[in-house]
Amino acid sequence: MALAERMMPGVQITILGMGLVFLLLALLWGILVLMLRLDREPPPHGSNEDEGATRPAPSIPRGMAPELFAAIGVAVLTHRSVLRKQAAPSMRSHWPGSILFASRWVSAGRHQQTQSWRPGKR
Amino acid sequence: MSDYLSTLRELREKALKGGGPKRIEQQHERGKLTARERLAFLLDEDSFQEFGALATHNITDFGMADQRYPGDGIVTGLGKINGRRVAVFAQDFTVMGGSFSEVQSHKICRIQDLALESGIPLIGLNDSGGARIQEGVRSLAAYGEVFQRNVLASGVVPQISVMLGPCAGGAVYSPALTDFVIMTRDTSFMFLTGPEVIKSVTGEDVSVANLGGPLIHNCRSGVAHFLAANEQAAISMAKLLLSYLPQNNTEDPPQVAPYDPADRMEESLNSVVPASESEAYDMHLVIDAVFDRDSFLEVHSCYAPNAVVGFARLDGYAVGIVANQPAHMAGALDIDASDKIARFIRICDAYSIPLITFVDCPGFLPGVDQEYHGVIRHGAKIIYAYTEATVPKISIVTRKAMGGSYVAMSSKQMRNDLAYAWPTAQIAVMGAEGAVRILYRQELSKTEDPTALEQKYIEHYRAMFFNPFRAADLGQIDEVIEPRETRPRLIRALEVLRTKVQQNPTKKHGLMPL
Repeated sequence: MALAERMMPGVQITILGMGLVFLLLALLWGILVLMLRLDREPPPHGSNEDEGATRPAPSIPRGMAPELFAAIGVAVLTHRSVLRKQAAPSMRSHWPGSILFASRWVSAGRHQQTQSWRPGKR
Repeated sequence: MSDYLSTLRELREKALKGGGPKRIEQQHERGKLTARERLAFLLDEDSFQEFGALATHNITDFGMADQRYPGDGIVTGLGKINGRRVAVFAQDFTVMGGSFSEVQSHKICRIQDLALESGIPLIGLNDSGGARIQEGVRSLAAYGEVFQRNVLASGVVPQISVMLGPCAGGAVYSPALTDFVIMTRDTSFMFLTGPEVIKSVTGEDVSVANLGGPLIHNCRSGVAHFLAANEQAAISMAKLLLSYLPQNNTEDPPQVAPYDPADRMEESLNSVVPASESEAYDMHLVIDAVFDRDSFLEVHSCYAPNAVVGFARLDGYAVGIVANQPAHMAGALDIDASDKIARFIRICDAYSIPLITFVDCPGFLPGVDQEYHGVIRHGAKIIYAYTEATVPKISIVTRKAMGGSYVAMSSKQMRNDLAYAWPTAQIAVMGAEGAVRILYRQELSKTEDPTALEQKYIEHYRAMFFNPFRAADLGQIDEVIEPRETRPRLIRALEVLRTKVQQNPTKKHGLMPL
């Protein structure tokens, strides 16, 4: 038997085996691409495409005119602005004079700075 | 028991009615609210505790025995504004024109004492025709008691006067002694002597509005700090102002939860200073870009507009701002601007509010009138106030910092903590033209073409001094920064300086050049 004839089955098995492996890899790649497409994240908020679809439409209570609804919205925002400007309790990070807010170093320093003053005496 | 209760309820009912429905109607016709309506607008709902509602005078002369009203023309008590405790009084114009009596004085003094001992702000809603003439010297002494307490509380607890009606004669000194005066546009006025007295004494003919109206005191005299369109606006202004002030001189103002990014860099700042040094720009643009959005509350906005002072927030913390205004008189300092700046610095120092100074000042305003009226003495107040202040102090030289004004405006020698400069800063003893004429007088007199030589020397002088780098080289400027970096730089600096403690030498009091 010639050498070529003896090697032929080996070559055939190699080609068949590698072909099968590559075929399986290609199938796996195809599945992954398909999964990625199916599992794609929605576009970021504020991007031009699909903006109208992603932003929820305001739900105006039944019977209320859109102008009135808008006016109430503006009033709420203005009220929040006034609260923030006036440092209302809901806008504060600390209560003035609270222990959380105070530093012992500063308290001691201010005591020394104001030691000439005595409460309750005139 | 039921008789006692009914008597009490009857008296309370009478006190609530003030001068009666007719007077209340007249008050409303003038576009004014009653004392109780004002307090309802000022204070948090259901927070007011009234004291002295049943107090009445004991005068019988001039038919006063028949004119006894519970409360005697003033409503006093304690309440809350945005949850913060305050002491308040409101004069009731519907009761004998709100005339100031001995009983009124006792009630105000009681509230002043409580405010001082409790360490809480005092807010006065003023609407009074003046001293109660029927009481004679009693009412004068009564004024004195209030003034005394105004002075003792000064710098200890914030005192705010809201002028909602007339205030004449000696009564004007009580608001003048408080920290801030807010006046309504159409209904308030303040003067020591009225137009009629002035005409009889000096012959001058002047109207009430031109003598002591809100525009006069906000823009000319500087007696008032804020101008409000109406009573509601004035009361809202008092609430807003209070948000930048602490309860007393040992506490800090409230911190608002930060709402503007601390690392925000405003690109517009890099181009806000014009290329031409003689071109003006509005310092408000700088302030609005650097501090928390929409947080700037300008004090004395109409008075001495060549300087800008006011409160703002930086990362939620209250700060005081002092700035020159290049858009008015090129930002030069004059007598009024000096007084305005010095007073504001002392207020910030008293209430532990850090000071941020923006410098663009070509110097003190030259002129015979300024010198005659004591610009030296008034300018010295700025130096005194800055040096005396122990709060954190940071300066930013945006453009010109010339001569004495450089030193006065929070320089290193004024115990400044940090001195920044923008690359556009020009820190020099004087302007280029003047300096060259002095330095090169001999050379310029000998040359055939003095103009060309002068121009050459001017350019040389500018190259040498009209930048911040020489000052930075000498350590007079801590850091030259890009204008857009100003906000994050200030926030980081204040984060460190917030616990700064500095002592002044022990003394009874300093001798400020008043």
